[in-house]
Amino acid sequence: MTAGAPRRPRLVIGVIGDDIHVVGNRIMHLALEESGCQVFNLRTRNRPEHFCQAALETNADAVFVSSLNGEGEYWCADFRHRLTAMGMGQVLLYVGGNVVVGNRPEAEVEALFRGYGFDRVYHQRPDIGAAIVDLFEDLKNGTTQRIRATA
Amino acid sequence: MARPSVSARLHDLERQRAQVLSHPLARGIAPDEVQRFLATLPDQRFPSLCYAARGATPLIQPRGGVPLFEDQLALTQALSSAGADFIPLTIDSYTRHNQYDTATQLLKRSEEEGRSYLNGYPLVSHGHELTRQLYVGLDKPVSLRHGTPDARLLVEVAIASGIVEIEGGGLCYCLPYSEGFPLDRCLLYWQYVDRVCALYSTPQRPVHRESFGPLSATLVPPAIAMAIEIVEALLAAEQGVASFAVSFGQTGSFIQDVATARVLRKLARHYLDEFGFGSVRLSLVYHQWMGQFPAQRERAAALIAGSALIAGVIDADKIVVKTVDEALGIPRPSVNAEAVDTVRYVLRTFSAAGAIDSPTIELEATLLESEVRSILGAIFALSGDVFWESVYRAFQLGYLDVPFSPHADNANKLVSMRDGNHSIRISDAGQVPISAADAATERRLLEARADRSDLTYRQMLADISLMV
Repeated sequence: MTAGAPRRPRLVIGVIGDDIHVVGNRIMHLALEESGCQVFNLRTRNRPEHFCQAALETNADAVFVSSLNGEGEYWCADFRHRLTAMGMGQVLLYVGGNVVVGNRPEAEVEALFRGYGFDRVYHQRPDIGAAIVDLFEDLKNGTTQRIRATA
Repeated sequence: MARPSVSARLHDLERQRAQVLSHPLARGIAPDEVQRFLATLPDQRFPSLCYAARGATPLIQPRGGVPLFEDQLALTQALSSAGADFIPLTIDSYTRHNQYDTATQLLKRSEEEGRSYLNGYPLVSHGHELTRQLYVGLDKPVSLRHGTPDARLLVEVAIASGIVEIEGGGLCYCLPYSEGFPLDRCLLYWQYVDRVCALYSTPQRPVHRESFGPLSATLVPPAIAMAIEIVEALLAAEQGVASFAVSFGQTGSFIQDVATARVLRKLARHYLDEFGFGSVRLSLVYHQWMGQFPAQRERAAALIAGSALIAGVIDADKIVVKTVDEALGIPRPSVNAEAVDTVRYVLRTFSAAGAIDSPTIELEATLLESEVRSILGAIFALSGDVFWESVYRAFQLGYLDVPFSPHADNANKLVSMRDGNHSIRISDAGQVPISAADAATERRLLEARADRSDLTYRQMLADISLMV
């Protein structure tokens, strides 16, 4: 974001895969709007390309991918690659919910999605409050992936 | 402007019906043969006769569906022995979405491997001839529980199997269950279902229809649920359905449950009579808590007992019960049978039917009645040649807005939260046409809550998780 621009953060959110768990998606929408963001909600049953096209169309600052049924692992692998390919590599990328199937240690899940190019991973965290705090931090500092890559 | 009318009745069903029944899995269903088969069933298999004969307490219905025939037979017998008044047949989700090939393959795999690959009974895959065998000698009604936008073939197979209570409707089985099924098509397919139910009915033994009032079961304001229930009763009556149950899910507020039952009963009767459907037999069904259930079994049991008590207080015609394993998955037959017994015990020991009243209940009922009248009045005033078209317009305009519906075309403008009594309040009506005065009352009641969170989403999360 350009310093001093009065523009609200622009976010694309949605649920990935054939998942139609909509309750968390609706709560996220309200929570992000309440914190001052402009939300473009793709709602349920999305493919990675839907998120990336929407990010391009809306000139998004960040993309929040949700998965409740665990399909996230299957769909998220090339998310960052897709965004970069369309010239949107700077977009912040977050994932949350029950992002993998079965019971796996949180550190392992986080490392997996960090490897896919996600900035932050919120596996089985019921309150989105922490993610919103992180979002505003990252909006100031830019993607954590790039920081890590150049460090 | 299109008001409900008998002139909307489908008279040219034959071609469409021949097409539906030409499906290989219809296995040559012949309506004449089915009619003769239905005539052999005892009276007790027909819900309207059971409702007419019930005593002081609500009738009890569990839920249940498993893939294999033998397991479904065992479940049916277990539930019947446990004292269930209605026997459920819950359908798997592939069949609900018309994916009969997948359901058939997974049924085969379940049979071969001895474990369940389906979350219900694949009725279309099993077919009517086999399914009739589930209910030989049974002297209570069987209820089809599903969630199917296009239920034409499923219902043909169900009735041919001797199942004469059909749950669902064009709104209530689309908006909570489907992300993308076009609502106008769904309304038309449910006209077909309603008409087929009417065609198989006799004056003494009608095929019974029931609507699904809980909807998304997540902070749905009762006025929205009631408007949808009444619309579906009217759409069914247009097609000649003679016995219909409206329903609603436990709201989480004792006061709001009592008020909702009172208003729903009164207004459903009122509108059926107003549009010339005075002969339709009406009943009221209460669903035990349909939202997030406690995982702790003691709490789940307490919730089940508490809602059974409310069902008695509101004198519901039927209560649909949950089990202590609700939060964990599909219950075993023994757990399901225990739930029936618990509810029966509460209804017997705390028999409480009769008028219960208080100024708070009175205020709630007055508010809800006014809201439902406003919403329905606005729908009746919309353009359309026939009533279903006005209903579809109402959905497009956001007049009917179901919170937490997964449907892509749902307006999602309405925001609801709980007040200090746990009653569900409308904090922002969106495009739902309630009066300014009622909207102000809703907000006033909401703001009176002392322990509100400053953040809407935090409050909503707490309100959704009320019973956990």
